[in-house]
Amino acid sequence: MEKQSDKVLSIKGLTKRYGDKLVLDEIDLDVYKGQIIGYIGPNGAGKSTTVKIMLGLEGSYEGDVEIFGESIKENNVDYKYRIGYVPEMADIYDNLSAREYLSFTGELYGLEPEKAETKARELMKIFDLEEVYDSRISSYSKGMKQKVLLISSLLHDPDLLFLDEPINGLDANSVMIFKEILAKLSEQGKTIFYSSHIMEVVEKISSRILLLNEGKIVADGSFEELRQKNKEGSLEEIFNQLTGFKEYKDLSEEFVQIVQRDKT
Amino acid sequence: MKNFNTLKLLDLFKVFFEKAGIDYRMMRRILQVKLTMDGRRTSTVMSQNMGSNKKSDQNQFLKSLWFYAFIGLTLVPILFVGDNYMFQVSVITGVFMFLIMTTMISDFSSVLLDVRDQTILGTRPVNSKTISASKAMHVTIYLFFITVAIISTSLIIGTIRHGILFGVLMVLTILFSDLFILAITAMLYYVILKFFGGERLRDMINYVQIGLSITIVLGYQVVARAFEFVELEAQFTPEWWTLLLPPVWFSAPFAVVLNGETGTYYFILSALAVIVPVLSFVAYAKILPRYEENLVKLMDQTTKRSKQKRFDLFKRIASLATRSKEEHAFYRFAEKMLKNERELKLKIYPSLGFAMIFPFVFLYNNYSAAGSFDVLGEGRSYLSIYAALMMIPGVVIMLQYSSKNKGAWIYHVTPVTDLTNSIKGTLKALLIRLFLPLFSVLSIIYTVIFGIRIVPDLLIVFLVTFIYSVLCFKLIKGTLPFSEPFESSTQSDGWKTLPFVLLIPIFGLIHLGATFIPFGVWIYLLLAIVMTPLIWKLGLKRSPSV
Repeated sequence: MEKQSDKVLSIKGLTKRYGDKLVLDEIDLDVYKGQIIGYIGPNGAGKSTTVKIMLGLEGSYEGDVEIFGESIKENNVDYKYRIGYVPEMADIYDNLSAREYLSFTGELYGLEPEKAETKARELMKIFDLEEVYDSRISSYSKGMKQKVLLISSLLHDPDLLFLDEPINGLDANSVMIFKEILAKLSEQGKTIFYSSHIMEVVEKISSRILLLNEGKIVADGSFEELRQKNKEGSLEEIFNQLTGFKEYKDLSEEFVQIVQRDKT
Repeated sequence: MKNFNTLKLLDLFKVFFEKAGIDYRMMRRILQVKLTMDGRRTSTVMSQNMGSNKKSDQNQFLKSLWFYAFIGLTLVPILFVGDNYMFQVSVITGVFMFLIMTTMISDFSSVLLDVRDQTILGTRPVNSKTISASKAMHVTIYLFFITVAIISTSLIIGTIRHGILFGVLMVLTILFSDLFILAITAMLYYVILKFFGGERLRDMINYVQIGLSITIVLGYQVVARAFEFVELEAQFTPEWWTLLLPPVWFSAPFAVVLNGETGTYYFILSALAVIVPVLSFVAYAKILPRYEENLVKLMDQTTKRSKQKRFDLFKRIASLATRSKEEHAFYRFAEKMLKNERELKLKIYPSLGFAMIFPFVFLYNNYSAAGSFDVLGEGRSYLSIYAALMMIPGVVIMLQYSSKNKGAWIYHVTPVTDLTNSIKGTLKALLIRLFLPLFSVLSIIYTVIFGIRIVPDLLIVFLVTFIYSVLCFKLIKGTLPFSEPFESSTQSDGWKTLPFVLLIPIFGLIHLGATFIPFGVWIYLLLAIVMTPLIWKLGLKRSPSV
């Protein structure tokens, strides 16, 4: 369906082991321009490992990973000019102010220091953070930190975005802005890799959903396609079904019983 | 962001870095950020005394250099002890290496072990060579400063006294020992990370930090007395085990070149002095890539589940020592905090070390006066054990702090009616889990020196400790335990404890007075047994409102 030249990311036979444990099992995946991929799966399914490999944080794996048509093993720096990343754990040099941090990361992408700084300031203003631009990030709230991370990942206008729980801590209004930004970016042909545990959001924003379970892709398609195939109403239910999780009723009942035990 | 002078200096070597395939501009920028951040944190050496003048961006590290320079100054007299270079250089490099190693571990582990670099720099278009280089340069910059601070005085005076050749050898020696330490520290981390994981490494670093703090205070004591030993014979006899001591390797070239020593022994040592640092550095460079990979383990918070013992002595003690459920809960909580919170340990454990040592400092003075152990054993010098109480005000004042102070909301949302229990429980945990073991050891040693007769006196001291700690609790005036950030601790905290420390000699004098009255000690003991619970009851009372 898609043209070969629009292929942004291509993974073939990706396998990763930690010791004896198989984390990723022969993953094949092609991602095309403009797609918003909702990348979901239970804890420990191998989501972050995949993302780490694509970001070049994890060096030892079997299989091929090509980004923008080039193997990331052979050329492990240049593709990074065109990607952006929001880490799940808010890893950030929080002793710096937002100004210092953002101009620094901007420069790492080769932006001019002054340009990076003005650009960052304008973006901060949109998120209503202009007053704290020169305060240390360590004094920020969770949501404010998250906004800084978002800005930092987008400052150099990347073509491929990796977002790991990007709306963690954001208020509803900021989430609204953020969702719109993603939609706009995808319209312009940017590709977004979105991992999250919040199914409602993934369901709404993704043009394609990938469900990973025990190191394998168990579902791949738009939300509509998944719904037809699995005859379930919401992504949450599809998720439960495909990951084989049925005991939630029993478990929740047991939980409540234990809570109410020994009450005097 | 400042344009650091250090970096301007580094610019001179730009060509070398670029030749090595490093993106110099990028490395410089990373270093600039790192140095800026360092200016905003405190070093272990200074954190003991420094308040929180965090506002200024001035690098605390540069201030701590004066401290190292002072230690360096104390090395100078060694240069004048005889003409045996084996002795002089061994001692100097020994002290030097010890200082560098401990500082590396205590203050720069954060540099070597920063996992944020992985996500922040690793995902950006910077080649890994540049990242490693900036990490290495970051440490090197500090290593350079500390080295210069410690050694330059000795180097200059040594060169004047022993000649240019000595100076040249010294510079080379210091260079090689720095190389050696950098490599083995990194490899030590590598090995620990590989086999034990992150938590264990963090614990180890914590203990080194504690050790460093103790050593530095002790160092003052030792240095003050060191001049008594100046007369000591500076002879050096080759033994096989000296082959295992790196400072001895480094001194061998001096003996060969300047003392004209020959023989296989000296040649082996000199060879070791060159080969081992070079080899360890090569090994370090080899494992560096895998080192970064193992660093990821630091992010891994999982620890092995500890086995639940069927009979837990400390649990029993907790139930025996506390009177209500609430007090019990706080006791157990404080117990865990004191055991697990690294920053709290860093502030408290050194004081414990001092509490262990100070009684002996006083005892030593009395011993010098008495002349023999027998005379000492018959006297009343056992009252020097009161010196162990000196730790209590400082530790009590620390009980209000925690690096995770935000967790204190738990006090306010739980239906705890009487916060007196929180204080009682915390204080009991401190006295029973930290002070009692230490006091027991002291008591045993003292009983050996002074005989069974002092047992009632020791009991009195123990009870007095309980009374004294209640008084000390007035210091923190109603602040809840572990509820303030360490940053809010100030210089004045130290001054505040002073009047309380001065109470100790008063307790000691009362005790001394009692020993002159017939049965005075027994009466005092009886009094203490009656008074202690009363004082605990009345002294710690506080209104239920927070």
